[in-house]
Amino acid sequence: MTNEMQFKKIVAQYCEVKPEDMKNEMRFREDLGFSSLDFMSFLGELEDTFDVELEEEDVLKVLTIAEALEMMEKLQGEA
Amino acid sequence: MKDYYSLTAAQKMHHNWIQDYKTQQVSGVSVVASLKAALDFGLLKKCIQLEFERYGCMRVRFTKPDEKGQVKQYIAEKETRDIPLKDLSGMSLAEADKLMQQWAYETFEGDDIPLCDVTMVKLPEGFNGFFIHMDHRLIDSCGLVVMINDLMQLYTHYRFGSEFPKDLADFEMVLERDLKKANNEKRLAKDKKFWDDQLDALGEPLYSDIQGPSVLEEARKKHGNKNLRAADIELKDLFVEVKDYYLEPEPTKNLIAFCMNHQLSMTNLLLLGIRTYLSKVNDGQEDITIQNFISRRSTHDEWTSGGSRTIMFPCRTVIPAEMEFIAAAYEIQNVQNRIYMHSNYDPALIMEEMRKRYHTPEHTAYESCYLTYQPLPVKMDNPHLEQIPQHSKWFANGAATKKMYLTVSHTEHGGMNFSYHYQTVHLKEHDMELLYYYMMRILFKGIAEPDMSIGEIMEQV
Repeated sequence: MTNEMQFKKIVAQYCEVKPEDMKNEMRFREDLGFSSLDFMSFLGELEDTFDVELEEEDVLKVLTIAEALEMMEKLQGEA
Repeated sequence: MKDYYSLTAAQKMHHNWIQDYKTQQVSGVSVVASLKAALDFGLLKKCIQLEFERYGCMRVRFTKPDEKGQVKQYIAEKETRDIPLKDLSGMSLAEADKLMQQWAYETFEGDDIPLCDVTMVKLPEGFNGFFIHMDHRLIDSCGLVVMINDLMQLYTHYRFGSEFPKDLADFEMVLERDLKKANNEKRLAKDKKFWDDQLDALGEPLYSDIQGPSVLEEARKKHGNKNLRAADIELKDLFVEVKDYYLEPEPTKNLIAFCMNHQLSMTNLLLLGIRTYLSKVNDGQEDITIQNFISRRSTHDEWTSGGSRTIMFPCRTVIPAEMEFIAAAYEIQNVQNRIYMHSNYDPALIMEEMRKRYHTPEHTAYESCYLTYQPLPVKMDNPHLEQIPQHSKWFANGAATKKMYLTVSHTEHGGMNFSYHYQTVHLKEHDMELLYYYMMRILFKGIAEPDMSIGEIMEQV
């Protein structure tokens, strides 16, 4: 299963919010200030770190930390 | 012992241009940053020397090419180049600009040599600062802005006791990480598949020129191939002129608001403006490709490690005339988002694949327009300097590898600057006037009536 803190530490590399201050309802773009490029690079980092393969159609629907975590849990569950 | 590293894809892009165009001039990047204040030049010199220590990319050098023409990079332990002070204060601002422009044309000749020159300058009208001239394989414009800010934070720390600037990420560590990522076979295969799939789906791209279809026709005649879809690039006469246009804050606000309200990025809106113009002047051609530069700077380390991280990828869209403006904007956004996800790939491999598939002749391209959208202004973001007037300026290296290269940036007063670099052997200022005029007409018509079709917009503007 995805380690939530490990996940948030990766998110923190891309924004000014500390992992411990991150709330799961936070939106990547509006609340964390991700640009499109940041978000797509971040997804690549997730793939490498957690050894999962993201579906492009699915990732474009992800807006919040909770949704990203849920997507990761699902992918790792399938693995 | 020094460690030697391969070049990253972004560095290779500049390196290949130097090889193709046979001059290092195409890889020069220069900027002057100054303040309307007296500076302690002795202290500034010390801060510049300290910056050389902090910002590892300033010390990068390249080895002599091996028998296969490959070079490696390494980071020199110390840079010993002098940091001279030049007094241009007796000149007019225009004369000083002209002289600095000459400095920007200078080349770094040789292997294993420093590729970063910093000159302290006393400028007219009481401005004082420094001029930086570097090789683009070492740094891009975002990296330079970070460097200028860090340098001035060092200066204000020692001069006024402000906080010491935060540590910068180690260039070598980030370089190692980048190279490791680029060699990840699983990722490489995924990225290759994405780019190959695009060619499988759309076939060979089709060249579109700012001056219309005659350019492709000429290339077809030259190569004796009436089906040729790429056109020749200029290799000899690389002289470039720059034409800047300023968009006032009010219309800029409208563009930004449209982007925000429709969850669009400004890059994608600009790409739509350019591609619609190209379509208009190429008899409604639907298949248009523009080279778009992206700066691979997303994490804190990537932002503060310096280096050359800007790289271009072809943004190819096939947009029929009946598609609505807003739908076309989302289509581009969709393409761009996918490109971002695969932007670790080396674009030279995309070109290689196209040459293999379509036998594209050497020194031809499918694109005539290149775009960089730069949200970061060159401004010393330092509370100690807030009240002091600043003057900064980028200088073109005078040798363009691209027919037309547009840099769009935001100004400090809320407007936008459109800076068109164009090869004078093929283009005139009037071509840039037309391009800017129609780009604006297309964009403002589109944001006013987003449901209007691209075809109608092309007819009405």
